[in-house]
Amino acid sequence: MQEPVPDARAGLLDRRLIVVTGKGGTGKTTLSAALALAASRRGKRVLVCEVTARERVSELFGRPPSGPQIRELLPNLYSVHVRPAEAMREYALMILRYETLYNLVFENRVVRYFLVAAPSLAEIVMLGKVWWHAARETERGRPRWDLVVLDAPATGHGLTLLTVPDVFLSIVSEGPLARDMRDMQGLLKDPARCRTCIATLPEEMPANEAIELHRALGQHGLPQGALFLNGVFEPRFTPQERTLVARGGPLLAAAADAAESHEARADLAVRYERLLREQVRLPLVTVPYMFDRTFGTQAIEKVARAVEAIL
Amino acid sequence: MRRPEETALAHRPPLDQVLARRRVVCCVGSGGVGKTTTAAALALRAAVAGKRALVLTIDPARRLANSLGLKALGNRETRIDDDLFRGAGLKPRGEMYAMMLDLKLTWDELVQRQAPTPDRARQILDNRLYQKLSTAMAGSLEYMAMEKVDELHSSGRFDVVVLDTPPTANALDFLRAPDRILDVLDNDAMRVVLGPLLKASRIGLKLFALPTSLVLRTLAKFTGQDFLRDLAQFMVAFEGMYAGFKERAAKVKRLLSGAETAFVLVTTPNPLTIEDALFFHRALREDGINTAALVVNRVQRDPKRLGGPESVPALREALQLAQIADGGDPALSQRLARTLVEQSTLADLDRRHVEELSRTVPDVPLYLVPRLRKDVHDLAGLWQIDQCLAASED
Repeated sequence: MQEPVPDARAGLLDRRLIVVTGKGGTGKTTLSAALALAASRRGKRVLVCEVTARERVSELFGRPPSGPQIRELLPNLYSVHVRPAEAMREYALMILRYETLYNLVFENRVVRYFLVAAPSLAEIVMLGKVWWHAARETERGRPRWDLVVLDAPATGHGLTLLTVPDVFLSIVSEGPLARDMRDMQGLLKDPARCRTCIATLPEEMPANEAIELHRALGQHGLPQGALFLNGVFEPRFTPQERTLVARGGPLLAAAADAAESHEARADLAVRYERLLREQVRLPLVTVPYMFDRTFGTQAIEKVARAVEAIL
Repeated sequence: MRRPEETALAHRPPLDQVLARRRVVCCVGSGGVGKTTTAAALALRAAVAGKRALVLTIDPARRLANSLGLKALGNRETRIDDDLFRGAGLKPRGEMYAMMLDLKLTWDELVQRQAPTPDRARQILDNRLYQKLSTAMAGSLEYMAMEKVDELHSSGRFDVVVLDTPPTANALDFLRAPDRILDVLDNDAMRVVLGPLLKASRIGLKLFALPTSLVLRTLAKFTGQDFLRDLAQFMVAFEGMYAGFKERAAKVKRLLSGAETAFVLVTTPNPLTIEDALFFHRALREDGINTAALVVNRVQRDPKRLGGPESVPALREALQLAQIADGGDPALSQRLARTLVEQSTLADLDRRHVEELSRTVPDVPLYLVPRLRKDVHDLAGLWQIDQCLAASED
């Protein structure tokens, strides 16, 4: 049933859309930025779409926030912050075509209420906006963007976002929105054009969530790219060294404590890497722990190199 | 120089004292900060002290769930087996129970309780929109968690109910979730818009023609008519049930903002999760609720607290004295020095973030749990956390 492992890796960056999701705090944004950087280095025009409340990608590259306008961060590398209110307006205008009609209907207090209450409408318009970017073409009929990277929300919410076309089409089957949703669904489910990547950490909850997410994505027929195991500590001491240093007396107490802390985390990395390799049929990329927690361009560079090394 | 933990911890009362007379304890925080573990540890602590304590959890780590014997979902409490306590070297004077919340089932039970007739309940349970709303609507999980807490609390079967709140993606909405959901169910504005459809649904007309008002026509363009029809049927089925729902929501709210309930904010030293915790803290305060305690999990301990040499030459000497070969490539002394710097850097970052947190909320007692070397997934591990929470010094 599942495709062979090596296949998914080939040309991950040659898709039109890469979606990055995973548990909160697993490094999705850093990974999105790194994938975009790696692709832009290959001469692709890349757009990173952020859909969570706070914009972070531009900051990672030391640039001012892009906001709802597409801005260049580096040569060939652009970002945009898709926010529900603006996306809703733009999207509604695209369908309704007339500003007066939009104002009449959507600026209506009663309707605004309805829009807040209607489930998933925010997700629908945000995904709609991302899809619009990914599908956009230049006047000569070439894709406006070689690659769009969607920095998606965390697992549950991210899955909600990606399955919004399915859910929507199960309730609504007619109208312009349904037509767009069908196109969106087509893009998200086409392995030649789109891959979803999962970010995780060598800890129990994030690892299990990655496994569940991998299965859920599979069940929804969403093609996947790679699994990124972030924050990995490499084993640094042999068991014999650990024993000797631990028994080395008070002079080595601090060094032994540091070594044990390090190895405890390296053990976790080994254990969860093994578990993930067993349970997730995707190429696994390990990314070393970054010691500067204010991840900047340097950290992105490191991750991008780790990504380039395997892709 | 005083260590920052000391400034935060110096004047804090013991956690047992803070939670002594509370009958509901809500653990709040962003996802992955160890909320479930903290909630379970607090319930264990209460059980050991002689109470009948229940931990209500949403989505526990599998191994923790397994080790507590929480294998089956289904909204029923499981008593933690005495053998498990004995295995962890504990002799509880009370009893500990654990339960996993089943969202769909809790909604269904609530509808069945509140519906005037079984027929009406069935109508709602069968509505396509209800099926989506009950599991997918924002705030739904939060509302049902609160609903369940109130039910368990009112049953009188437990001295204390510890709630592991759902990791809310959209910050702290669970206090407002009941209102929000009721707004959707009983919304005058929506009634006005849907007026003609509601009328049609009430008399059982099938809607073949497009709705006539401009607003409805435009909405239908967006959502399709089916959705509007489902919505109207749903609202009609719910008619007459709002009063009951409202009463329950108000009761839950009273319980949560009363003196019997304590909110414990759980975080890690990571600035992102601290930001969330502070957001929760402010949101609670806006609702007139004080944060009873802040628990910071996974605080890295500084290896340098133990003293001793740190530089490569000094470590080389220390190894020599201990008659350990400085082998390997890079040499052991070099790897040890690097590891000391790295682990100390991590501790330093954590310290700074915790210090900033305690400066920001000086009136909330702060309890630190060090990063443990192994995942916590059994009672012994939970008890270890309890010991850390109870310790006056780190």
